[in-house]
Amino acid sequence: MENSITKSKNIKEVDINKPKFTVKEFKRQWILVAISAVYVVYGIIFYYLPLAGWIMAFQHFVYAKGITGSKWVGLDKFKFLFNDKTFLMVIRNTFAMGVLNLFFSTIVAIAFAILLNEVRTRWFKKSIQTISYLPHFLSWIIVVAIVHDALTSTGIINEILMKVGILKQPYAFLGDPKLFWGIVTFSNLWKETGWNAIIYLAAITSIDPCLYESASIDGAGRFQKMLYVTLPGLRPTIMILLLMNMGNVLNAGFELQYLLGNGLVQNVSRTIDIYILDWALDARNLDYSLGTAAGIFKTVVSMTFILGSNYIAKKRGDERLF
Amino acid sequence: MKTKKIVSLILGSMLAVTSLAACSTGTPGDTTAATTGGDQPAVTDGGKEIVDFTMFAAMAGKEKNEGNEIKEIIAEKTGVRVNETWLTGQDAGEAIGSIIASGKLPDLIDGGDGSVTLYENGLLVAWDPYLEKYPNLKEMYTDQEWDQFRMEDGHIYWANVFGNSYQYNTATGHNGEAFWIQNRVLEWANYPKIETLDEYFKLLEDFAAANPELPDGTPVIPYTCLCEDWKYFCLENPPMFLDGYPNDGCVIVNIDAGMDKPQVVDYNTTETAKMYFKKMNEEYAKGALDPDFATQTYDEYIAKLSTGRVLGLCDQYWDFAYSIMGPFASPLEATDGTTFRLDELGCDYVPLGLVAKKGMDQQWHSYDDELNCSSGCAVTTSCKDPDLAFAFLSALLDQDIHDLRFWGIEGVDYLVDENGLYYRTEEMRENWKSDSYKAKHTCEYSYCPQWMGMSKDGINRMQPGEQPSEFIEGLAAPLRKTFEAYGAGTYAEFINSKIVVNAPWYPLWSWSNSISSDTPGGIAWKKMGETKHLWLPTVVMSSDFEGDWANYMAAYAECNPQDFLNEAQAEVDTRLATAQSYGWTPT
Repeated sequence: MENSITKSKNIKEVDINKPKFTVKEFKRQWILVAISAVYVVYGIIFYYLPLAGWIMAFQHFVYAKGITGSKWVGLDKFKFLFNDKTFLMVIRNTFAMGVLNLFFSTIVAIAFAILLNEVRTRWFKKSIQTISYLPHFLSWIIVVAIVHDALTSTGIINEILMKVGILKQPYAFLGDPKLFWGIVTFSNLWKETGWNAIIYLAAITSIDPCLYESASIDGAGRFQKMLYVTLPGLRPTIMILLLMNMGNVLNAGFELQYLLGNGLVQNVSRTIDIYILDWALDARNLDYSLGTAAGIFKTVVSMTFILGSNYIAKKRGDERLF
Repeated sequence: MKTKKIVSLILGSMLAVTSLAACSTGTPGDTTAATTGGDQPAVTDGGKEIVDFTMFAAMAGKEKNEGNEIKEIIAEKTGVRVNETWLTGQDAGEAIGSIIASGKLPDLIDGGDGSVTLYENGLLVAWDPYLEKYPNLKEMYTDQEWDQFRMEDGHIYWANVFGNSYQYNTATGHNGEAFWIQNRVLEWANYPKIETLDEYFKLLEDFAAANPELPDGTPVIPYTCLCEDWKYFCLENPPMFLDGYPNDGCVIVNIDAGMDKPQVVDYNTTETAKMYFKKMNEEYAKGALDPDFATQTYDEYIAKLSTGRVLGLCDQYWDFAYSIMGPFASPLEATDGTTFRLDELGCDYVPLGLVAKKGMDQQWHSYDDELNCSSGCAVTTSCKDPDLAFAFLSALLDQDIHDLRFWGIEGVDYLVDENGLYYRTEEMRENWKSDSYKAKHTCEYSYCPQWMGMSKDGINRMQPGEQPSEFIEGLAAPLRKTFEAYGAGTYAEFINSKIVVNAPWYPLWSWSNSISSDTPGGIAWKKMGETKHLWLPTVVMSSDFEGDWANYMAAYAECNPQDFLNEAQAEVDTRLATAQSYGWTPT
């Protein structure tokens, strides 16, 4: 918007790009300000004040002595972390599973949403949608029990593979480190695809029908309409979701890997969260400082991801977060 | 458009949540099972105030129903009602760690492996003044034994409640580890003497070949082995026993040079260890070892055992036996439409004390009380009335309340004959096996102070399982027949271990279970555990045993096990010196 237009006396509306903070303006909006203040206070109390606890990462924190009485150790905890082979391994695992999950869950959810959108029978479409998002409401412990059951030597997967003659002996899927990331990604897809697709389905319905009409007039087939109308229409939604999920790459999971893992696959199954539980929150090695240090690491990496990808999106002129 | 608004609303709220979440330091797995102490007094009909305490035991357990009958009677008598909670999924260390982090402590606690951490964080109340006040508690141990519970600050913070016999040890069971076998397998082979792994597995395979299915059509599994989390000891520690040593848990303590010159030896790298894992490898290749052994969870393992299809296993009695009693005593339907029960079929397990070479002595069973000083029942600083808590713990040891806890109500749960001997009818025994009956009626307070051994009346035993007449009556017919065939009256006689007086450092696992990773030895111990968790199932499942064994040994050496062994040696020496200062001499 041109600045000259807003300066013109005829237009009394406030410049939405540059709202001026005046008493009059405040009086006009005080209800809105009050409502949002609740959230700001909430955010400060529950998200920003706890950050003071980061001090622990630079101490050898002892519960009985508290923050004021514990010894300062500088960067020792970080040094321990980055000299520990196990920690480097869990970073790799977390990152790998996070990326796999982000990549496949985005692709599959979009594909699922577009395909579902093409289904013309209303009751069929509705029932598929309901069935596919229901697993989202199951707790991981139940999903893991199902996955575990399906993959044992007498489980359905082995049974089918043996019936059709692909396997002679039951295969220990859960004991094979090469398969673990795949199993995790698949479990995530099974649980979350339907849920993730909802947002894309909603976005598809908001695409202007005129675009489809004109595409038809131009002779576009069904597939071409998906490719040249639906997908570009989804682009802003995809970008925003992708950006937000970038920050979650290191939150690759805890319950799933913790419950599904075992001794044989521990080198690929343990994530940062499991490492923290093991080396920092376990009563035998209680070390809150180490846990905090690992938490800071996670936060810094996640913030870098969000800011980095947001910057790229900005450069490319795509939708962005801020 | 409405949908657009909804989309933007969802997006907006998700944005808010994720951007803020990125700034918070996650503390995952914060799922404590503990509840806060509610000390609100409640007035009962009698007008006496009853105080409610909470207790957390870092062990898997079953919760009691609200209004449990015996719990109410004990509450009337003592003025205290305790609500017990147990581990749910996580292990003791994780649970205690998150209880400390949350700051919400129960009134009473058994911290298991996390006990020392509770003490270090100043969360426990010292027993010392209350021991003088309550002779019942003081009586549990001798002064020398109490001294073993003292922490660095010179105070006592907990008392282990298990395996402590009044007057003398009257154990009928074998609560420890063994290679267990269904007694029907022994009967089928006409009660042979089984001493070695080769004999054991050959018998299991032969039986499975001749009897591939249970009457209900379930196929049998010759041998399974738990490998989950810390319970992987089922796979890991038999080399220690096979060499004839007792359950020190983390190392072998060799006394060839004399009882006063104990030498710590690593059992993971012995010839016997290699022989044992090679045998397991062969059995896995043959299919006699359960193909799911490495990936099964504890729940799956118990479910498997409950069907009666597993012929043999290596485990500690307490880890599996109590969970399968109910299922083994329930009627099942056979394929031909008749009903049968697993205990009547002879599926109950009996313990075999296997050794590496025929004719060796073994010490799978310890006939002496073993004292584990590393954990026990404790009162926390959150308890508003510690004196009442200790008075309650003391009252639990009064004979009448002790009988209520373990025998039940006279006339309902047991009868008394003319000589004052307690006995139960068949129905009463069945009741005490039933989980639902136990939830609504019985209240053992099983992690509070208790006795084994002789009752104070001099006639009965403190606990019914040790009452000789009750023990024999309680056995299923095939099991009794098996005991007779081997000339054994009890499990303890059946396993036929060498009778020794416990060494002063025994059991060393009470030390290794709670060492922290602050020292090189502690870090080595944790790394050794992680390495063994990966490699032991790997070598068992390997198609190239020799190659993978060499890889395992190389990975194991990288953990610096010597750091750990040095600290173990130091602990043995310290315990020996303490005992000597009390006048202990080698016998």
